[in-house]
Amino acid sequence: MKIPPTALVHVLVGKSIAEALLVGALAVFAYLSVLPPHFHGWGELTEGGIAGWAVNNARPWERVGVQFFLDGTFSAIGVANETRPDVVSAGWAKDEWHGYFFPLRSLNVGDHEARVYALHDVGDGKRKTLQLLGESIRFNVDSQGKLKRIELLK
Amino acid sequence: MKAESKNFDDSLPSLSRALAVWEIVSVFSSCLIVEWVVLAFAGKNKLIAAIPVLLVVALMLVSHRQRGETLRDIGLRTDNFLAACRLLLLPTALAVLLILTAAWLMGYPIFAQPWRARFLSLPLWTFVQQYTLNGFINRRAQLAFGKGLKSLMLVAVVFSVLHLPSPLLSVLTLVGGLLWGAVYQRQPNLFALALSHTIISLTVALTMRPGLLYSLRVGFKYFG
Repeated sequence: MKIPPTALVHVLVGKSIAEALLVGALAVFAYLSVLPPHFHGWGELTEGGIAGWAVNNARPWERVGVQFFLDGTFSAIGVANETRPDVVSAGWAKDEWHGYFFPLRSLNVGDHEARVYALHDVGDGKRKTLQLLGESIRFNVDSQGKLKRIELLK
Repeated sequence: MKAESKNFDDSLPSLSRALAVWEIVSVFSSCLIVEWVVLAFAGKNKLIAAIPVLLVVALMLVSHRQRGETLRDIGLRTDNFLAACRLLLLPTALAVLLILTAAWLMGYPIFAQPWRARFLSLPLWTFVQQYTLNGFINRRAQLAFGKGLKSLMLVAVVFSVLHLPSPLLSVLTLVGGLLWGAVYQRQPNLFALALSHTIISLTVALTMRPGLLYSLRVGFKYFG
């Protein structure tokens, strides 16, 4: 058998680079499919619950499905389809119907944490993923049942 | 200058060995990419698997050409078919007998699994596997480590790892890799190896419960 020339080394290097690019491209494609970066939104504590908005920038007219988690546990499901003209004026959405509201009732006294997630279908609905909208909202319930936001020092 | 040139000439065999190992690693990694990465990430778009497959086929063809290997060297020949079959007859019969005995002991009805149309492509599929495993990897392993246990173990381990995470197939292919690799090192004939591989695979597929084998699935596909 002949001693192989450097051409074989070139083929091996080229193949390695091509496969590294393929694997990298597949990883990025998979991440973007499962957790697309085009969901935007925000949530805040109001008098009676958690209010916010959610927009899918890839489909600006779509009403985003949202899920509400209280203290790490699923609590409620909804659709961000309530009026929020401020979101349109801030340039986040093309129409005002992207708001949501989750009421907070009969909570124990003490600290709590609320999170609202955007719901996304993957693979024709075979899988669903959740992405946090904005930040987690920490609040306190006092003995009179009043809600007060806990400000975190950054 | 003369001494430097001599040192370079001395290092050529070790460079050639290192290159052979690199070729094995390259083929092995392409197979893992198809089994684990493409099927996991590309979902229904399985045409993407054609990219690493084409790359690995191109590498093997270029390598054969660059190393001056003929079809006869690789094992695509008929003159030693019967000699290779003679070597394979006893271990293949023994393997079939052991699989049937194991199935009988586990209470499985013998050859009771349904016949599937895809079994018709089994001879072609086993031939492709034997070409890659022995026609390429075994030959490069012999270049790197010579004939014998070292190169055979490398061939068997590569073949076994490519059948993970199926525990049964991994064990069977470790033994099969040793057997077929050893026969190839004595009588390189890919047709005889593919025949033995087909007989054993069919026996396993028609005898073992699907729940044990997951329809002979390997890699990411094994999970569903």
